[in-house]
Amino acid sequence: MRYSISIRYALRSLRRHTRRTILAVLGISLGCAVCLFMVAFVRGEGKMMLKAAAESGAGHFRVVPARWPQTRENDLRLRQWRSVRRRVHQIEDVKVVAVHARKEGLLAFGTRVAGVEIVGVDPNAEQVANRLVRHIAEGRYLDAAEPGTTVVGRGVAERLDVGLDDPLMVTVADAAGQMNSAMLRIVGIVETGSKDIDATICHVNLPEVGTLTGLAGAGDLTVLLDDPKRLEYAVKELEAGLSNDCAVVTWQVIVPELASGVKVDETWTRLTVAVVMIVVFLGIMSAQLAAVLERRREFAVLSALGMKSGRLISVMLIEGLILGLAGSILGLIFGLPAAYYIATHGIDFSGMYGADMSVSNILFDPVFKGDFGWWLIPLAFELAVSATVLSSLYPAWFAIRTNPAAALRVEH
Amino acid sequence: MAEPLVRADEVTKVYDTGKLEVHALTGVTLDVRKGDFMAIVGPSGSGKTTFLNLVGALDVPTNGRLEILGDDLSALSKRRRADLRLHSLGFVFQAYNLVPVLTARENVEFVLELQGVGAARGGRAMDILEQLGLREFADRRPNELSGGQQQRVAVARAVASRPKLVLADEPTANLDGENAETLLTMMRGLNEEHGITFVFSTHDPRVVAHARRVVTLVDGRVAKDQAKSPSPFSAEQSKRQEE
Repeated sequence: MRYSISIRYALRSLRRHTRRTILAVLGISLGCAVCLFMVAFVRGEGKMMLKAAAESGAGHFRVVPARWPQTRENDLRLRQWRSVRRRVHQIEDVKVVAVHARKEGLLAFGTRVAGVEIVGVDPNAEQVANRLVRHIAEGRYLDAAEPGTTVVGRGVAERLDVGLDDPLMVTVADAAGQMNSAMLRIVGIVETGSKDIDATICHVNLPEVGTLTGLAGAGDLTVLLDDPKRLEYAVKELEAGLSNDCAVVTWQVIVPELASGVKVDETWTRLTVAVVMIVVFLGIMSAQLAAVLERRREFAVLSALGMKSGRLISVMLIEGLILGLAGSILGLIFGLPAAYYIATHGIDFSGMYGADMSVSNILFDPVFKGDFGWWLIPLAFELAVSATVLSSLYPAWFAIRTNPAAALRVEH
Repeated sequence: MAEPLVRADEVTKVYDTGKLEVHALTGVTLDVRKGDFMAIVGPSGSGKTTFLNLVGALDVPTNGRLEILGDDLSALSKRRRADLRLHSLGFVFQAYNLVPVLTARENVEFVLELQGVGAARGGRAMDILEQLGLREFADRRPNELSGGQQQRVAVARAVASRPKLVLADEPTANLDGENAETLLTMMRGLNEEHGITFVFSTHDPRVVAHARRVVTLVDGRVAKDQAKSPSPFSAEQSKRQEE
C-alpha cells in the first residue's frame, strides 16, 4: 500500500525521535489502562449494586398505588392488582412479578415483643424475586396452601427467643385503628449474614395481611427483569397502559440512598478518568510542542514551498492519531488483563467491612467484581485517540503560526 | 524586452524588534523579467535576503508596491500567497533544507502532492531527478547524500512544480568549486531550456560569473543594476514558448 507523502512524513517524523515516541505511547497506554480498569470496576460495581437492590426485594421497578411515591404509606393498596399483574407479564423481559402487602406490627412470644414490618407475599414468586428468603437456615419457606405460618429472620427469632414451630402472636392496627391479632407458627428462620436485615424479616402469606388489616389488595407489585438495561423501555411501555390509580417507580426511587451512592461512584470515576486523561493530554501536548519547536525551520520551508495551514494541521493530527492508536492498543494490552482479573476475581472488601454488608436492607456480596466486555475496546480507542488528537491541536496551531520568513531568517 | 514577472516600486521593509526599527529595504525599485538569470549582490545587511523573501511572497513590504506575476502582494491573503508560492515560485536555500525524513524522490514528490498532482507525481519526480543526474540517489535520504547532491535535489524540488520564478538564497555557499559549478550549469540549463527565471542572493563570485544580470544592493537600495548579457528570452521568444 502506497501512503501519501503527508502520511509518510507524519509516520517518519514520529520515528525520528523513537525514544520520545515510545515514552509518549507508554504514557498514553498507561493512562488508558488505568481508565479502562477504573471504568470496568465502577461499571461492574454499579451493576452489582443494582442486582443486589433488585434481588433484595426492591426489584427493578414496582407498580404502587398512585399516592405512594408522595406518602410512602404502607396502608395504600392496589385493588385491581391481578389485572395489573397480567399487564406487567405482557411486557417483554419480565422475569418475575412478586406481590406484596406491608404493615407495621408487633410480634410477641411470652413477655417478649418485637416491632417489625410484616410483609405479605406470594411464596412462589417471592423465592424467585428475593434472594434474602433463599438464605433459609432452619425449616423452610412459606407455602401458599398453608395459612397461619410465618418465616422470620434470625435476629427477630433471637430477640423473641423463639425457634421453629413456636407460635407467635402478631398484632396490627387495622384501617379503622382497631387492634387485630392472630397466631402464626414459625416454619422457617432466615439467616442472610446481615444482622440488620435478619432483625427485620417477617414474611407471611399475602391473604394474612388482608385479614389482619382489613385492607384488600396488594401494596405493590415488585418486578424483576431479565435484562436491567431494558428498564427504561419496560417502564415506558407499562406506564402507557396503566390506570390513574397506579404509579410505576424504579429502584432509584425505591432505594434513593443506593441510587445516589452509585451516582457518586460514577461521578468520581468520571472525575478520575478526566484527571488521568488531562495528565496524558498535557504530556502529549508538551511532547508535540517540543517536536514542533524542533521542526520550526522544517515547517517554515514547507510553508515556503506552499504548504497550507490545513495540510500542516492534518500532518500534526495524523501524528497525534498514530500516537493515540498505538497508545490505545498498548493500553488494551495492559488494561484488558487487569479488567478481566477484576471481573473474574473481584476485590474482596470483607476484610474492610466484614461479611455483613448491607445498606437499606439490601444485601451486598463483599467481593466487588468489575464489568468486562467488548465495550472496553472502543472505549480505549475513544479515550486515547481523543486525548492525543485534541492535544495535537495547540502544537498544530503553533506550527501554522510560524512565520516562514522569520524562521528562515533565524537560520542566517 | 521580456515581460516583468516582478515589479518593485519604492519598496521598503522595516522590522520592528520592539526596541528599535531595522530598515532592511529603503525604497527598492526593480523589475525581474521573464528569463532573467539574475544575481543580487551586496554586503551583509544590504537587504538581499529581505528582498528575496518579499519576492518569494514569504513577507509583505512595509511600504511601496510589489507586484508578483501581476498581483499586488500587499493585497493578497495568506492563503493566496501560499497558492502563489506553490504554483508559481520555487525556492532553493543555502542550507538545502530538504525534509530529512523523506527520500530525495519523496522531497520532490511532496511539492507535487501539495499541488494536487495524483498518481503521476512519482514519475514526474523521477523525470526531474534524472534530468539533474540524481536518478540513482532517488531513494536516499538527505543525510545519505553529499552537499552538492542535496542542493541538486533542492533544485529539483524547486522546479518540480514548474514555477515561473526560482529564488535561490546563497545556493552555493556550502558547496565546493566543482559542485557549485555543476549546480550553476544545471540551473542555467533550466533557465535556457525551460525559460525558468532565476534570482540569486549571493556573495559568491562564481554565481556572479554565471549571472546575466547583477543587481547590487547597498543599505537597502539598488546601487547598481548591470546587464552582462541579454536574456535569451526576448518578448517574442517568451510569447512563442507560451504558445
